[in-house]
Amino acid sequence: MNWPDLSMGGYGFYVWGSYLFALFAIVWELVTLSYRKKARTQEKASREVLRKTNETTS
Amino acid sequence: MNLYKYASPTAFYPLAGKMIPWFSIPAAILFAVGMFVGFFIAPPDFQQGDAYRIMFIHVPAAWLGMFLYILMAIYAGIGWAFNARLASMMASSISITGAMFTFLSLVTGAFWGKPTWGTWWVWDARMTSTLILMFLYIGFISLQSSIEDPRRADRAGAVLALVGVINVPIIYFSVQWWNTLHQGATIRILQKPTIHGSMLWSLLIMLAACWLYSVAVVLIRVRCIILEREQNAVRLAEATV
Repeated sequence: MNWPDLSMGGYGFYVWGSYLFALFAIVWELVTLSYRKKARTQEKASREVLRKTNETTS
Repeated sequence: MNLYKYASPTAFYPLAGKMIPWFSIPAAILFAVGMFVGFFIAPPDFQQGDAYRIMFIHVPAAWLGMFLYILMAIYAGIGWAFNARLASMMASSISITGAMFTFLSLVTGAFWGKPTWGTWWVWDARMTSTLILMFLYIGFISLQSSIEDPRRADRAGAVLALVGVINVPIIYFSVQWWNTLHQGATIRILQKPTIHGSMLWSLLIMLAACWLYSVAVVLIRVRCIILEREQNAVRLAEATV
């Protein structure tokens, strides 16, 4: 096992920059997806409540 | 077991929910293993030093960008030809992840190009055709969002996706057809790879991680799309499970 040189032999900006960007892209996708999922789940829950209310009142 | 029933979005919705952990957890583990092998086991390259380590994210991102486009076009084509709603939803779901990986391959390619070629960008065949792939993804996503009726949006998107498939072999063979700064393939199915074993393993593990991640994310997104398009049907299906 070799401990990597954090400066990447002078290429640290490029190597870490690309991995940081990849991390950012994946986090962005997961966060936007979780917002979308949350919004759909909330919509679904509120429709359920509305449906149950309508059933009890009718 | 009748697998055809899962062609229905409402039947597929709970199945997709059960499948997500089977892809997301191995994806996270393989990302960690791939990074470990790539940074701690693989030696520096004799020409590029440590700059080559960008390869472990750049190459899987570029491959995924191309493969996901083909997959998206297949699903869009099936959806169009057989009026299969789930296939069209899968195509919509894949498009965003495919666009993300293509964008990632362009950016990481620029990060790799600067120290090795001395420039962030050149209008060579491989990079230009990959940029066109990015525009095709953006076109597909924009076209689908601009049409209100989902069925019409699916059909319009399918035409664009199928026409755009021609760009994928152009990307792949561009390094052979034209003079380009971009290096040729280092891994071929029928030939011995030209890179060190630990580099190859790291690359393959990262590729598997990216594939598993893509499947998990596509399944999560397709569940959202099903909920958006077929709210009442999903409620009924869940009530009967």
